[in-house]
Amino acid sequence: MTLRCGGRMQMADGATGVEQGWDRASILALFDAEAGWLDRRVLSDQALYQLELERIFARGWNFMCHDSQIPNVGDYFINYIGEDQVICVRGEDGEVNVLLNTCRHRGNALCRAEQGAAKSFVCSYHGWNYALDGKLIGVPGQSSYFHGDLDRSQLGLVKAAQVDSYLGFWFATMAPDAPSLHDYLGDVGRTGIGMICSYGDVEVIDGIQKNVIDCNWKIAVDNLFDWYHVMYSHASAGSAGIFKPAEILHPNNQLVMLGEYGHAISGPGLPSERQTQIDLMSDEERIEASRSAPANSQRIRPRLGAELMGASGVRSMGHPNIFPNLWITLGGMQVCLRLPRGPSKTELWWFTIVPKDAPASYRKVAVWTAIHLFGPGGLLEQDDGENWSQSTRASVGFSSRQLGQTLKMGLGHDRVTVDEHGQRFIDTRINEHAQRWLYRSWTEWMAARDWAELRARHSPAPEGAV
Amino acid sequence: MSALEVAAEAATAPAPLSLAERALLQFEVEQFLYAEAALLDARRYRDWLALIAEDIHYWMPIRRTVTNSDIEREFTKVGDMAFFDDDRAMLEMRVKKLEAGSAWSEDPPSRSRHFVSNVRILDVAGDEITLEAAFHLYRTRLNTEVDSWIGRRTDVLRREGESFRIARRHLFLDQTLIRATNMSTLF
Repeated sequence: MTLRCGGRMQMADGATGVEQGWDRASILALFDAEAGWLDRRVLSDQALYQLELERIFARGWNFMCHDSQIPNVGDYFINYIGEDQVICVRGEDGEVNVLLNTCRHRGNALCRAEQGAAKSFVCSYHGWNYALDGKLIGVPGQSSYFHGDLDRSQLGLVKAAQVDSYLGFWFATMAPDAPSLHDYLGDVGRTGIGMICSYGDVEVIDGIQKNVIDCNWKIAVDNLFDWYHVMYSHASAGSAGIFKPAEILHPNNQLVMLGEYGHAISGPGLPSERQTQIDLMSDEERIEASRSAPANSQRIRPRLGAELMGASGVRSMGHPNIFPNLWITLGGMQVCLRLPRGPSKTELWWFTIVPKDAPASYRKVAVWTAIHLFGPGGLLEQDDGENWSQSTRASVGFSSRQLGQTLKMGLGHDRVTVDEHGQRFIDTRINEHAQRWLYRSWTEWMAARDWAELRARHSPAPEGAV
Repeated sequence: MSALEVAAEAATAPAPLSLAERALLQFEVEQFLYAEAALLDARRYRDWLALIAEDIHYWMPIRRTVTNSDIEREFTKVGDMAFFDDDRAMLEMRVKKLEAGSAWSEDPPSRSRHFVSNVRILDVAGDEITLEAAFHLYRTRLNTEVDSWIGRRTDVLRREGESFRIARRHLFLDQTLIRATNMSTLF
């Protein structure tokens, strides 16, 4: 048996990451886009994981929270940029500040609750006090014990380099040179968030489900594009009657969109003839039809849907992912973060979302659907975790980690179409295009030492044959 | 409740139970809870369903780590998000899934042990008994997976002949982040 070994090489002098042993060529070799072959060490290597914290999470735009979760000055929600805990807090000026949750004195966490409201953040260790914008406003013994030596202006809480929102969804990056959120999301990312908001302004329902799975975060991300597993992995949920595969799956009507920097949307798509019929309906008719079955993949979006998602994107009934780790699901009724906790551990955080003006009856159905399909107790979700943890585990052993994973479905059989507005999409059947795009983009992010290099060397959104 | 209503209720309330009656009831209730736990541990889900009342509310809210000043928001409320918010039809669906022959998260099946303790009868009203108990559900599966869920629960048992049916089960976990791949088991 021939085992294929990716190269683990020493880096050139002066390059960052020498200590990690992964250079540009060896990282790019981890995924072979032409062959549809993924090196399993992507799911298990400790050095790659450390590099991900720097080159994926600190560099990218990470989802923080929704406007509705922190409506008032001082309201905060704790989230993560990779493994760095951050406080997302509504400042005195109404803007959202994203602050590293670590005291500049000895590193202690300022906030230990998951959410709440604060006037300022006081460290429980020695009482250093920080304003909602991170400014250090109080140090016990500053003039006596510290002899006035501290320059408080240099010791504020560290702020995310850029914080911005799109349609009420707040994101942050630690990279000052990252593109603007608008440019980062691009058409595909904005289409994804537009899916959530296509019935109007939304709010997050109280209660974020959180659980931890012994898997690599990327296999949880790539699974959201995978409509091939639904029939088999979720067969028992179908037998129990919680969902009807034939109503949601549409294996021969799949719509894929691949966006710059790794964003993608994959899953069922309405045939354009069906969309043409919908275009003739009034908004009232469309909203009424959608409210009776909020999770039905045949949701009929009002005109706002096409405004936010584009004329082709609005046909998507599938799953967007905002690179790296924000899944938009149930037609925009939930988002799920896949937060890394080491190469073989991932936390899943589920946010459930309804239009602000939704009637109580819709809200009830939305909550019922979210609880019973997804989250650790959900009938669909129950059967996913072990597939991911066992796949992750089989990336560790000496022999199995030298094998690849096979991602060949649909490779070379499809074409990207560009509509009259420039929106790119693939109309196809069940496929693995988005998974391949995810890993290809991931290698490019990992291989680039900074944003300048990533900007210059990343693949543009595909055109032509894929 | 107005003073008048309190007085009216007192007038119609049954005489408080004697110590002997309370001891007997405590014994009956505990034996029922142990038998119920044994059915779940033995994976006799259909038999367990027979103990579930038609109007059950089986609910596990989400718990959050919050400060003392925010403690009233520790648990989500009915109608907001939860881990379980089931009626009888939903519980039947869960059992149907377990029986489907393709419930991969339970095949090979988990091994579970349901412990119930600290049982306190809080109220007896007509044929309904409200109790509070501590629970510990230990689950292990495959060779290495171990999950342990501990919490408080309130049950309403409704007397039916010689036995009871469970008319309410509200589960208040001590964990906030669920340290498990899933909750594919019944509490």
